[in-house]
Amino acid sequence: MVAAVSHVKTPSLSSNHDKPAQPPASQPGLFSRMKSRIHNGRGHHNAGHGPIAGRKLSSHDFRIVRTLGTGTFARVCLVKPVNPCEEEKKEVYALKILRKTDVIKLKQVDHVRHERKILADVSGHPFITNLLCSFSDHDSLYMLLDYVPGGELFSYLRKMRRFDESTSKFYAAEIVLVLEYLHEQQGRVAYRDLKPENLLLDRNGHIKLVDFGFAKRLTNGEGNPIETYTLCGTPEYLAPEVIQNKGHTTAVDWWALGILLYEFLTGYPPFWHQNPLEIYKQIVEKPITFPAEPHISDNAKDLIRSFCTVDRSNRLGNISGGGQKVKEHPFFRGIRWDDLLCQRVRGPIVPPVRSASDTTCFEHYPEEAGKREPYTDDLAQKYDPCFADF
Amino acid sequence: MSTESSQFSPFGSNVNPFGPREGANGGSANIMHRVIEEEETADAVASPTNPTFRTGPSPSAFRSPFGSSLQGDAPFGTPPTVRSPPNPDHYPADYNFNRRTSVSAESLKPSTDSNDANWTSPYHEKTPEQLARLRKAVEGNFLFSHLEEEQSTQILGALYEKPIPAKGIKVICQGDAGDYFYIVENGSFDVYVNRSGTLRPGPDGMGQNVGTIQAGGSFGELALMYNHPRAATVVSAEPGCTLWALDRNTFRRILMESTFARRRMYESFLEEVPILQSLTPYERSKVADALETRKYSAGDVIIKEGDPGDAFFLLVSGEADAYKSGIEGSVKHYGKGDFFGELALLNDAPRAASVVAANDVKVASLGKKAFQRLLGPVEGLLRRTRYAGVETGVEDMDPLQSAA
Repeated sequence: MVAAVSHVKTPSLSSNHDKPAQPPASQPGLFSRMKSRIHNGRGHHNAGHGPIAGRKLSSHDFRIVRTLGTGTFARVCLVKPVNPCEEEKKEVYALKILRKTDVIKLKQVDHVRHERKILADVSGHPFITNLLCSFSDHDSLYMLLDYVPGGELFSYLRKMRRFDESTSKFYAAEIVLVLEYLHEQQGRVAYRDLKPENLLLDRNGHIKLVDFGFAKRLTNGEGNPIETYTLCGTPEYLAPEVIQNKGHTTAVDWWALGILLYEFLTGYPPFWHQNPLEIYKQIVEKPITFPAEPHISDNAKDLIRSFCTVDRSNRLGNISGGGQKVKEHPFFRGIRWDDLLCQRVRGPIVPPVRSASDTTCFEHYPEEAGKREPYTDDLAQKYDPCFADF
Repeated sequence: MSTESSQFSPFGSNVNPFGPREGANGGSANIMHRVIEEEETADAVASPTNPTFRTGPSPSAFRSPFGSSLQGDAPFGTPPTVRSPPNPDHYPADYNFNRRTSVSAESLKPSTDSNDANWTSPYHEKTPEQLARLRKAVEGNFLFSHLEEEQSTQILGALYEKPIPAKGIKVICQGDAGDYFYIVENGSFDVYVNRSGTLRPGPDGMGQNVGTIQAGGSFGELALMYNHPRAATVVSAEPGCTLWALDRNTFRRILMESTFARRRMYESFLEEVPILQSLTPYERSKVADALETRKYSAGDVIIKEGDPGDAFFLLVSGEADAYKSGIEGSVKHYGKGDFFGELALLNDAPRAASVVAANDVKVASLGKKAFQRLLGPVEGLLRRTRYAGVETGVEDMDPLQSAA
């Protein structure tokens, strides 16, 4: 991947060699092509598709600097434009690369399509990772995202062992705003994979929710609410109705927020075991208990229990009042919600980021292992229509 | 999708939560300094997100590779990968602090929504004795214990017989993809765990024997939830064994189809309830979500005249009759899709009549409190359309409405 990208020159950008300071208006640089995509994407379902400025972006337009994270079938890399024009010279992006073969093998085709579509719909919220555009080539799907330099909240949490109540309150409050936005303003989008690993910190210490691989819009063609049945998420954070296959809704995110807040305050989740089946048994059967140490305030305990309520007709966030009722909980007393949304409040942890392209806050991952199953013509014929949105 | 941790990371897989203490609240430029110091001394430890990890739990916390169904008394496995705490500081000693991998089952869509509308669950004939044994085998299992009777019956019907004729046949292999759950009908099976996380070639490739599963036991439940590498190898310990097998897709599909059909039925019933007609589809679906199934036998009193009204009922199957004191015989008959007691959602008046099951009755009910929690103050909702003005005139027809 790295080699392939760095050796290819793209015709449309080669003119920049001659006049680096002024990309010709007829052949706008990468940067402006992307910006126009973002713009087109706002509020439209076809964000980032169709050729912009005459040509779709491709992996050849970027050079991989390093890997920021890996998953079972995806890899996120820090990338720079190849042959940048002057205004692009300092630009870096996060490029999520999904291998088609692996997506198909792991039966994640639907999830990947939802991810691309929902991310395009919800990009623009201050606490959600921003999708700039997507594209594909023979083997892979690509999503180009804003680079968020502060690293994972997970790393800070493990490093500091636990967060104090005011730090936890700040992050929980920002997540409340995200969930309220996804569930109530974006037409019932369930996120379904809330955990510290999926929260990044931006330069100022605000959260960015990343990885919409399990996000799903829970309305049918007529806009009526539906429930969904595919088990997905992270074992410790799964809601009981997901484990029991009862059909689930956006209420699963409020459950997960309760687990997350518990983990912020204690350093570990309330239900855990080496054997995943034991975790599921606990989630379904065991009430949440709190350790004697560290001390957790009654308000925090009450909020966690209100979220982690098996009965969905009694789960905060899902009951009447929705997100607004969550905001009114005494745990959040003192939060100025408008200031928070406008990022007028300073984050409790300001990442030690020296520049916009600084990667010291991210862990190191081995670069591409090399061995890959080929994306055959048969597969391409069968599945490429599914990936047409990229 | 979600990240897996690496072997040489400054935090994450190598993180030591028990290391020198930082201020719990960071302003914290110094976090990163600490990180960089640690990078040089960090050990390479296994990642929890790596499939090979699952077999390396602490002996104390890990009793069976398959959870409750195997009475594993054999402690096995390698020590936990997290360094032991020099100062525990109320941390659970065996919690694994590494990055967690997301899991996902195959995407499932109800058949009415997808192309294969003709899906029916597989059925394999069993004797009543076999069925009774199967019921007993899964009764304590949390994946089965909450199921509705019909779901249970369908799932037990879908189990198919799998003869294991010879000794030494590997039914599942450690590290392989897991798609099936098994119940032992007869014979016995040995369980082996190789500490490396996968079955290896050679005489000792299966690893250590950690237990035996007898008739009535089961293994491989996690496969009913999602595909995860098998945590152990299971081998027939004698000739002539028999297993019952069930695959994940069938299990999940049966549960989904029945739940989905019931939900749609509830929603259509709810649409017929006049006082709920002003609800939005979203509100109606929330009510459907919260409905609880209850069962009654012939002669059971579902609602008692004079009691405070605290719940409303949809009749899902069977028949019931309303009786009023002082009036001979039934004053109203209820059948499938009928509803009663809905005025309890509206006011606090006592029940104006009794409702008694005429035969085996199944109802879906919702308590007044749950209703109000879900949808907010009743006044706002139910008076969107003036109740008295509803065409069907429930107040006249419903004997549960008090005369006042």
